[in-house]
Amino acid sequence: MTQILSDFILALRAADVRVSTAESIDAAATLDVIGFEQRDVVKEALSQVLAKTDEDKTRFRQCFDRFFAFEHVEGTLSESNNPIESVSKNADNSGEDKSELGYIGTPTDKGLLSALGDADAGALQQAIATAARNVRLPNIRIFTQRGMYIRRMLEDMGIDEVDDKIFELARSEKTYGKELQQLREAKARLFELVSEVVDRQMLLYTANAWPQLREEILHKTPLARIEARDFKIMQELVYKLAKRLVAMHARRRRVSRRGHLDVRRTIRRNIKYDGLLFETVWKKIRIERPKVVAVCDVSGSVENVAGFLLLFLYSITEIIPKVRAFAFSSRLGEVTEMFNRLPVAEAVAQTLHDYGHGSTDYGSAMADLEQLTLEDIDHRTTVLVLGDARSNYGDPGDHALRRIHERARRVLWLNPEPKSFWNTGDSAMRKLAVACDRVEPCRSLRHLERIVGEIARTAL
Amino acid sequence: MNPKNKKDAAGHIADIREGFSSSGYIASKSIATAVYLAKALRKPVLVEGPPGVGKTELANATSSLLDKPLIRLQCYEGLDEAKALYEWKYGKQLLYTQVLKEKLSDLMAGAKGLRQSIERLHEFDDTFFNEEFLEPRPLLKALWADRGAILLIDEIDKSDQEFEAFLLELLQDYQISIPEIGTVKAKTTPVVFLTSNNTREIGDALKRRCIHLYIPFPDSKLEQRIIESRVPDLETSLRLQLVTFVQNLRELDLKKVPAVSETIDWARTLVLLHIKELDTELVRSTLNVLLKFQDDIENVDAELSSLTRKAIKAA
Repeated sequence: MTQILSDFILALRAADVRVSTAESIDAAATLDVIGFEQRDVVKEALSQVLAKTDEDKTRFRQCFDRFFAFEHVEGTLSESNNPIESVSKNADNSGEDKSELGYIGTPTDKGLLSALGDADAGALQQAIATAARNVRLPNIRIFTQRGMYIRRMLEDMGIDEVDDKIFELARSEKTYGKELQQLREAKARLFELVSEVVDRQMLLYTANAWPQLREEILHKTPLARIEARDFKIMQELVYKLAKRLVAMHARRRRVSRRGHLDVRRTIRRNIKYDGLLFETVWKKIRIERPKVVAVCDVSGSVENVAGFLLLFLYSITEIIPKVRAFAFSSRLGEVTEMFNRLPVAEAVAQTLHDYGHGSTDYGSAMADLEQLTLEDIDHRTTVLVLGDARSNYGDPGDHALRRIHERARRVLWLNPEPKSFWNTGDSAMRKLAVACDRVEPCRSLRHLERIVGEIARTAL
Repeated sequence: MNPKNKKDAAGHIADIREGFSSSGYIASKSIATAVYLAKALRKPVLVEGPPGVGKTELANATSSLLDKPLIRLQCYEGLDEAKALYEWKYGKQLLYTQVLKEKLSDLMAGAKGLRQSIERLHEFDDTFFNEEFLEPRPLLKALWADRGAILLIDEIDKSDQEFEAFLLELLQDYQISIPEIGTVKAKTTPVVFLTSNNTREIGDALKRRCIHLYIPFPDSKLEQRIIESRVPDLETSLRLQLVTFVQNLRELDLKKVPAVSETIDWARTLVLLHIKELDTELVRSTLNVLLKFQDDIENVDAELSSLTRKAIKAA
C-alpha cells in the first residue's frame, strides 16, 4: 500500500499540490485509521490531510479521481466493485507473484501466453500492473517517452516469447491457423491495454509539467526576447510575484508596529500598584511611510521591453502604498492616477499610447521630473528609474538627476540592457550612474523579483 | 494497524454525524470525517471557509458531543502570550508582599549583612512564582483540563505572525514551556480547532501540522436540513422557498453574500411575522436581515421580483 500512496503523492506533486514529507506520513497514519473500505471516506480524509488550500483541494479531487480511475477488472476479479480495493488487491497479488517466481517481476512465457490464450483479463491486468511497477512508470515525464515505456513494459511482460510463438505458428500456418489468428488479436489487444495504462499515467504525472517548465524558462528569459503570446503568462507571473511581495511587505509592516516605551503613561497606569512598574505601555509610533517615485522609459529604443517595464511599474504601485509613477519618451507625464483607476492591461496600453514610441530625450524628461517632483522628494523618497539611458547623443539629463539625488534618500536605476552594452553608442549610463546610488541590470523576472524585494524591504 | 479500528471508521463517522444532528448541528460528511480524524490522529483541525458557515459553531457542537468543556481563545492583532497562555497575578503577588512586610523583618532577624539576608530570601523566592500565583489563560487552561477539553482558537488569521509561530509547539506536542515552572504537558490531549477567514495566508508550518477542513456554503439540501433543525416552526414549503431564494441570492455579485447564520435569522424573522408564503414586498422589507450593505440591497432590488418568483416556483 505504501507504494500506491507514495505514487499518489508523486502524482499530487506533479499536479502542483504541495505535499511535504510530514504530510505524507500523516496520510499513511490516516489510512491506518480509516482503512480503504469506503472510497469517499478515503478521498475526503486524504484531502483534509494532504491538500491545505482551496485550490489545492480542487486539484486533489481531480487527481484522486484520475489516479484511482482504474477500470474494473473483468473476469476473475470482477466481483470487487471498489476500484481502490481492486487496486490494492492487485498490488498485493503481484507482490506474491514476485516471490513465487523468485525472479524480479518477469512472468514466465507461459504466464503471458496462457493469459493471452485464456483471455484471462485478471491475470493480464496483474501482469500489466507488475510491469508498470518494474519499469517505474510513474517516472514518465514527457510524451516522447511514451513509446519507450510501452515497449519496456511489453518486454517486461515477456512479449518476446509471444512474438516467438507467433513466428513459430506462422511457419506452420496450416495446422494452427485459428490459434495464430487468436494470438495475433490478443497481442494487439495487449498492446492497446498497455498503451492505455501508459497514457493514463502520463496524464497523471505530466499534465502539469509543461506549464511548470514554461514558467521556469520564462523566469530566466530576457524580457526583450519574450514573445507576444507569452505576454499573458508573463503577466500572471509578475502578478504572482507582486502578490508574494505584498504578503512579505505586510508582515514587515506589522512587525514594525511595536514602538518605544511610553514612560508617562506607564507611570500613570501603574499608580494602582503603588508606583511599581508592572504594566508597560508602548508608544505606537507612526510608521514613516516610504515614498517611491518611479519613472519608466517607454521610448522606441526600449520598445520591446516597455510593456514589461510598465507591468513592473504597475505592480510596484500595487505593492507600495505611496508611489508616484511617471512615463516618458521625450516629455514626461504622471500616470499614477490612471494606474489606480484602470486594470493592468488597459493601463499599460493607455500609457504606451500616450507616451510611447517617441524618440528618447532624457534631458527634457529629467527636467520635467525635477519640476514635477522635486518639491515632493525628501529624505524618505526612493527614486526608481527604468530605462536604457540612450539619449540619442542629446543631453542625458544627469544634472537634473543629480539635483534629485541630493534630496532623495536614494536613486536606483534599472537598465533592461545587459551590462556589456552600457556606455556603448549613445548610452549615457556612465554619466547618469554618478547620480544614482545603484545601477542594476534588470533583464528577467529573476532580476525584477530581487530588486522589488529589496525596495520593499528597505523602503521601510 | 488495527483492523477492528479500520472496520469502524465509516461507522464512527456516521455516529459523529448523528451525534451532531441530535444536538442541532447539521454536519456534512467532510466535517464529520475531520472531527473523527482529529480524534484518531490527535491533530488540530484548521477550519476555513466564508464567514457564517458554522466554523465556530462546529467547536460548540463538538464540545457538547464529547461532553467536554469548550475553551475559547479569540485572536486579534497584538494578542500575546500573556493574554493567551498565562500571566502572573501581579496584584496578588504585590498584595501578599505588602501583607507580609512585617513578617519580613521577623525573617531577617539575626541575619548579618546583605549576603546573609539575600541567602535567607532565596529560600523563599519560589513562593511567589508557583501555580498559586499563575493566572491561566485559555491555552494553559486547555492543557490543565483534567478530562480534556475542546480548544477553539478563533480567527487565527487576525493574530500576528509571531503568535502563529508560538502556537507551533502547542499544536505539535500539546505542551508549553513556562520559564519559571517548566514544561507543562497536556493531561488529556485536547481537541483543537483553529478557524480562519483567510484575511491573510496562514503559514505553511502551521498548515502542515493541521488537518485542513474547508467548509463551503451548504448546498440546498443541507441548508434545508439546517433550517429545519434550527427553526422547526417554519413550514416545509416556506422553508424550501426561503432556501432557494438565498441560494440564488448567493449567485449574484454581492459585497457580502448571506451566510447560513443569516438564513437562520431570516427564517426566524418570517416565523415571527407569521408568513405563509414569500412575496416581493415582504422580501423587500425584510431584506436587511440577509444583506448587510446598503449597496447590496440597492443592487438586488431590481432582481427581487424575479428571484422571489423563482423561489416560489421551486417550492
